Amino acid sequence: MPDDLVARAQAGDQTAFRELYRQHAARVYALCLRLTGDGRDAEERTQDVFVRLWDKLRSFRGESAFSSWLHRLVVNVVLNERRTTGRRERRVMPAEDPDAVVGAQHAAPLPGSAGLSIDLERAIAELPDGAREVFVLYDIEGYGHGEIAALVGIAEGTSKAQLFRARRLLREKLER
Amino acid sequence: MNERELQDAVNRLPKSIEPPRDLWPEIEARIRAGSGSWRRRWYWVPLAAAAVLVFLLLARGERSAWDVTALAGRPLIGTTRLAASGRLRVGDWLQTDDSSRALIAVGRIGQVEVRPATRVQLVVASANEHRLALARGTIDAKVDAVPRLFFVETPAGTAIDLGCAYTLATDSLGKGLLHVTGGEVEFQTGRRSSRVPLGALMQIRPATGPGTPYVDDAPAPLVRALVAFDFERVGRGGGGGARATRNILALARPQDALSLWHLLQRVDPPLRGAVYDRLAALLPPPPGVTRRGAIALESRALEGYWTKIQRIHFRMVVLRGVKNIDPRTGLSVP
Repeated sequence: MPDDLVARAQAGDQTAFRELYRQHAARVYALCLRLTGDGRDAEERTQDVFVRLWDKLRSFRGESAFSSWLHRLVVNVVLNERRTTGRRERRVMPAEDPDAVVGAQHAAPLPGSAGLSIDLERAIAELPDGAREVFVLYDIEGYGHGEIAALVGIAEGTSKAQLFRARRLLREKLER
Repeated sequence: MNERELQDAVNRLPKSIEPPRDLWPEIEARIRAGSGSWRRRWYWVPLAAAAVLVFLLLARGERSAWDVTALAGRPLIGTTRLAASGRLRVGDWLQTDDSSRALIAVGRIGQVEVRPATRVQLVVASANEHRLALARGTIDAKVDAVPRLFFVETPAGTAIDLGCAYTLATDSLGKGLLHVTGGEVEFQTGRRSSRVPLGALMQIRPATGPGTPYVDDAPAPLVRALVAFDFERVGRGGGGGARATRNILALARPQDALSLWHLLQRVDPPLRGAVYDRLAALLPPPPGVTRRGAIALESRALEGYWTKIQRIHFRMVVLRGVKNIDPRTGLSVP
């Protein structure tokens, strides 16, 4: 069953929906940022996700955790947007503004391995679209190749090949 | 940097990143502009927009119906007897008696044969979601579409199509059986779910929902042990089951790996090690899947293992009678 906050938002409670946004915005934004590789696109997709969420919320029946359901919605919104617009060009921020790619939060050092995390985020953002999507979905988000193939609209073998390519490119970039 | 160092770095990435600015005001504005769902009245909506809306709703209503053909007897749609063919609209119930059968065209993605003594309702008919409710009886579904477009609700949970063909039977309380003959089906009740690939069956029960899937040639003692574990045990999450678990582990063969994969996620935590060890002995894990990761139920480990189990299982089923397949490796044996 949906929890109380979700149930209230489903019933049209704007305050509850805003609270859902507060709770989930950072998680949604992180996924959008990594899938798009572009800070501005990630902001747009995050907005799209919550607008779509408002429309779709009533179809959530509590068959899975709300966060899992929302997670899949994010992936669908981002991938549909790319399919719809056909924008396949590399979305790499100018080198003089690299932090915009990885999010302002990463400008501050993270305990232990801050530098590596920033480099990795940047390297992920610079991957070709197809390789980045598969890498983010598989290695960061834990999807299987079968699911990725269905979500992205590619063959399972292509998904594996893109993952291999992404990992190789990342290792090369991080070793420079 | 090697593969492992990269993976470690990936694992350390934060799951959340705060957006650089508050996005809520724009979201709120877009929702207000694009939806009438906010609980307020929109006096400013022009009549022209209302006319367009009515037109769209009418057009949508026409699409929100599926074709039905009588295969035998005179099935009922609502209270109307179906002669040869008709339309099943969202909200309509289709009912067959002991001697009638019907065929429903699931939009453009497949078909469902409704066997005798079955009651089924069309719940959602849109391009992105095709949903039936099976109140009781038996259906045979064949769907050719991307995963998660076709759903069948039963009193005990929901069958989610992952691109497949299957037979689903249930009584009005939710006791039922799922038999998958092509592709794979996920069955979900609350947070509990099972994946059933072709050539496998799964018992379903009210409240508990999906049992542990098993291959269609599983020995009867193993099936009984699984049923005992799923539905008769007493303890946390629907059961205790150390004894039932031991029975299953003793009876399992390499080709029963898909059952043990589900069992690993359902036994009480202290038993996971024993289940993993038996699973690994019967069907070794693929590279990258560790005992620790699997016992911690890490999704990457479980998905990796499932991919291997599924691949071998698929080869065994489709090559049954054609080639001998080693159930531990999926390779042909003389």
